[in-house]
Amino acid sequence: MSILDVHTHPLFRAEGCVRETVGAFLNHARAQGITRVVALGDVLAYGRSPTAAQLREINDDTAWLVATYPGQIMGFCYLNPTLGERAVRAEVDRGVALGLRGIKLEIANNARDACMRPVMQAAEEHGLVVLQHAWSMTKIRQRRFHTDPEDAVLLARRYPNVRVIMAHLTGCGVRGVLAARGCDNLWVDTSGAAPEAGLVGYAVEHLGARRVLYGSDAPIRDYAVALARITDAGLTTSEQGRILGQNAKELLNWS
Amino acid sequence: MTLFDASTWIGPWPFAFLEAHTPRSLVSHLRRHGIGRALVSPLDGVFAPEPGPANRALLRATRSFPGLLPVPLINPTLANWPDELAACAADNRVRVVRVLPSYHRVPLGGAGMRRLVEELQTRGLRLALQVRLIDERHEYHGLSLKPVALAALTRFLSSYPNTPILVGGLLRSDVTKLAPSHPRMLVDLAYAEWLDTVRTLLVPARPEQLVFASHSPFLVTAAATAKLNAAKLPSSRRERIAHRNLDRFLLP
Repeated sequence: MSILDVHTHPLFRAEGCVRETVGAFLNHARAQGITRVVALGDVLAYGRSPTAAQLREINDDTAWLVATYPGQIMGFCYLNPTLGERAVRAEVDRGVALGLRGIKLEIANNARDACMRPVMQAAEEHGLVVLQHAWSMTKIRQRRFHTDPEDAVLLARRYPNVRVIMAHLTGCGVRGVLAARGCDNLWVDTSGAAPEAGLVGYAVEHLGARRVLYGSDAPIRDYAVALARITDAGLTTSEQGRILGQNAKELLNWS
Repeated sequence: MTLFDASTWIGPWPFAFLEAHTPRSLVSHLRRHGIGRALVSPLDGVFAPEPGPANRALLRATRSFPGLLPVPLINPTLANWPDELAACAADNRVRVVRVLPSYHRVPLGGAGMRRLVEELQTRGLRLALQVRLIDERHEYHGLSLKPVALAALTRFLSSYPNTPILVGGLLRSDVTKLAPSHPRMLVDLAYAEWLDTVRTLLVPARPEQLVFASHSPFLVTAAATAKLNAAKLPSSRRERIAHRNLDRFLLP
């Protein structure tokens, strides 16, 4: 089985993951049967609200990954929606020209905010998948700039022609899964936190295996651990195949 | 079946859809994952007014399961803890007791903990400290619980430099900070994670400090075995982490 990981950060400078270590990063993936990864950028390198210049640097690094490891890495364009429509449009156009195939959103703002409109319009125009970081804000209490799963679902419902990945199933939890029911343009990735038992099975039961994508968040997480969340969830071979690769291939048109 | 698991639990947990293991179901579950022995504590004792009834039920229920080593919960803020410890220690299977500082509001620098450590030393028993049971970001919304603060844990470990102490629930970043200066601390691997976890942890920690732990039923059991199996380790080093370090820890 060829496994595709939709949530990785091959470059993570604060922890020593630099261009020179990417080969080893991919070797670790291959050792677990993961042949392709989506690189989301070193998204917290400059804090939660990077400037346009900082975004360009991060996205240039992601483009370097794509160019250096063709067929193994797909890159997403990291954006800061609070910089405004002009900056967002410019960076999306630049990212698409660099070969980036999706949009990554972190914690610069909440996904409910009005500043998301140009992001989602650009995503629709370019046919880009949007991966939105999400985590339950019940305990964290940062909802002003940090997206709760209910906010990610609202974003997907507001823009039904844009395909949205709600990141971090473990952070979204049962409440996030229930919020995502019936939202046909929303997928959830299995990354986030420690491998809490029962959540992947719960997501498959309530959303269906077609809405769940394998994601590790490596190097923050261990590929082997992330895979075990799926292989030990009591799923059928067919369901595992969907989550570990088939869904992502179809969603990202990465054959 | 050489894996010896430093953290498993029986009983129900009210805030997540987890398996409420009995000793029998836990043994069966662990066997499916190649885990032959485990330290086991009672979830019924986490929220109870005092852990005594849960401890006695644990000792009773595990009697027919030699692969499960009962680890009673002791709350040293309660007046009856010396009696509770004595009652538990009367069962010669008990080699270690577990303290839940966050759930039982146990100050690590308090007199209760000091007296408990002294009493454990007198009895030749070991201490396991659980700094978190679940990710604090995912605690039930009606609870206000935080993991043990790293500074408090550092002070505590520094107070007992020659005492082996098993610490459960540490994150990778915690291990990096604590392991080098506390060589007698054993790290339960359940919550520690990074790319190539075990080899990454073997930079700050020594091989004799790491112990295999699934933290079942809270975490995916296969994830714990995958974490260990994915590390390309010499067999002697793997054996240490898989069971030898915990075996040695339990010796009087």
